[in-house]
Amino acid sequence: MNIIQIALREVGRRKMRTLYTASGIALAVALLISTITVGGGGYQDLTQTINRYGHQLTILPATTNETSLQGFGIGGEHYIPEDAIPHLQEVYEQAIVEGWRARDALILIEGFIGDQEQVDPATFAPRVYAETELKGRDIVFAGIEPRKEYIAKFWWEVDAGNLVRRDDEIMLGKILASATRTQVGDEVDIAGETYRVAGILQETNSPDDYMAFATLPTVQRAFNREGQVSLISVRAMCAYCPVGEAELAINQGVVGVRATSQRDIAAAQAAIFSNVFTTVVGFVIMAFVIACMAVFNMIMGSLHARIREVGLLKVLGASHAQLARLFMYEAALIGLVGGLLGYLIGVGIAYLLGPIVMPDVVIRWEWEHVALAVGAALGASLLATLYPAFRACNARPVEAFRAL
Amino acid sequence: MLLRGEELSKSYVIGDQRIQAVNAVSIDLSPGEFVAVIGHSGSGKSTLLSMLGGLTRPTSGAVYFEDESVWSQRDVPRSLLRNERIGFVFQFSSLIPTLTAIDNVVLPRMFGRERVSKDVYAQAEGLLETVGLGEKIHCFPSELSGGQQRRVAIARSLINRPSLLFADEPTGDLDEQTEAEVMDLLLRTLNEDNTALLMVTHNNALADRADRVLQMKDGRLL
Repeated sequence: MNIIQIALREVGRRKMRTLYTASGIALAVALLISTITVGGGGYQDLTQTINRYGHQLTILPATTNETSLQGFGIGGEHYIPEDAIPHLQEVYEQAIVEGWRARDALILIEGFIGDQEQVDPATFAPRVYAETELKGRDIVFAGIEPRKEYIAKFWWEVDAGNLVRRDDEIMLGKILASATRTQVGDEVDIAGETYRVAGILQETNSPDDYMAFATLPTVQRAFNREGQVSLISVRAMCAYCPVGEAELAINQGVVGVRATSQRDIAAAQAAIFSNVFTTVVGFVIMAFVIACMAVFNMIMGSLHARIREVGLLKVLGASHAQLARLFMYEAALIGLVGGLLGYLIGVGIAYLLGPIVMPDVVIRWEWEHVALAVGAALGASLLATLYPAFRACNARPVEAFRAL
Repeated sequence: MLLRGEELSKSYVIGDQRIQAVNAVSIDLSPGEFVAVIGHSGSGKSTLLSMLGGLTRPTSGAVYFEDESVWSQRDVPRSLLRNERIGFVFQFSSLIPTLTAIDNVVLPRMFGRERVSKDVYAQAEGLLETVGLGEKIHCFPSELSGGQQRRVAIARSLINRPSLLFADEPTGDLDEQTEAEVMDLLLRTLNEDNTALLMVTHNNALADRADRVLQMKDGRLL
């Protein structure tokens, strides 16, 4: 027999009280785990979004009325000359190189004449937009350079058929295809020309879902916009490219265009998310304070109820440290039960409520969270037991001695 | 000299009042000696015993166990002294309810310097057999009568083969026959190991069996 066994038996003797106290801790831990699980999943989702869109740069005509195309904010009756693209590329690449150099992070490769700086070239994907009709519906018809567009929009997936390859083919966004009941292989008329539907894109939650796509020359020809583009999507070919510098360089150095990065929007979303998360963490801390108070009450109550036993143990030779250990072991057992129980409840809540709170969130089992749950519960439980244990150590055995 | 108490005093402050529980009491005890302290309730007997046993710090005076000052020691050595050299038997049941009889007997060894081994359990079993509870070693206190619980407490007080045993009304709530049995058992066991006994009691019949009887009144020895 040892002190742990005595603590175990004591916890077992007061089952209801132990369960009540452990459930207080379990609720706090459940709140912590569900918050972290849902919040963590949401943060991952947000990070993916930032990574997906954050390294994209969109170059628009400086005079674009962004609401002109069916409220999508994707251009208007102003265009960028197609032959300006090489110059824009040059300004962009130069800014990226300068940006890397400022961070002292350029990769050098050996060349014939000294070392050369290596920067993966960005992909410039131009688009031209035209407003027209498909099966009696107003639509946006987008001309694209398919190969570049697929690189720039790397999240595009084909739901049915193929990506557009030929001038007599078109591709439809998912919602447009559904709304017009159009399927792969159908032939449709747009602006007096007949096109075969080569493919339908998967839903992207972007304006692309409502558009029809053909090759850039096809749309330019059909709407008399040869040599003109409505916007250029630029995809940086590295994860942490200094796109901000490129944005600045284009806006300051090229007349007639305006570059915008999605990173600012994503960062703002991240800031909002962070604020909400901080608020919820505040509630979690409050829950832990309440749980600590429950443990404190339980252990103090237990101390009063067991003052005779505490006195007896002192009389039999238990030192202050041994008595403190006895109470700490009891608290640790309660914390352990509360932590594990709280973890299971927390994960359950995350699975049930996560998809409601954040529809795109992916809930994952994280073994680190088990350690966190148990650690937090143990910490709270032990912290709340410090004072009662101190009181037990300093209890005057003579009172207990007389009471025995 | 096994135990020596010099000019021991203890006072408490309750509200505005200062209560003098023990007033300048000196006492000594030789190895194997049986001393009874008698007196009315509130005369300071239990407080005196508590100070001598290293449980209550005296307001003034000193306690020496084998010429070593008890109250100048820190908590751990004083706890070890109580644990290894001194036994206690109390007036009412003093068993831990969640532990079996044998675990209760072994309990003081748990706070000692060594781990509780199988030998300790064998020794505890032997002690329980000595006090006539060989069949009840795995019973919980709630399954034992008052007299049986007192016997378990006696076995527990002897597990460390103490040099000195403090007993505070050890037969307080027992009937006459059980009281006689418990006292016979206690004295027989103590004689075997030459253990000294300091017993606080109201019972003059019990006190008559002591080598010396000291009477207390209003915190003083008469």
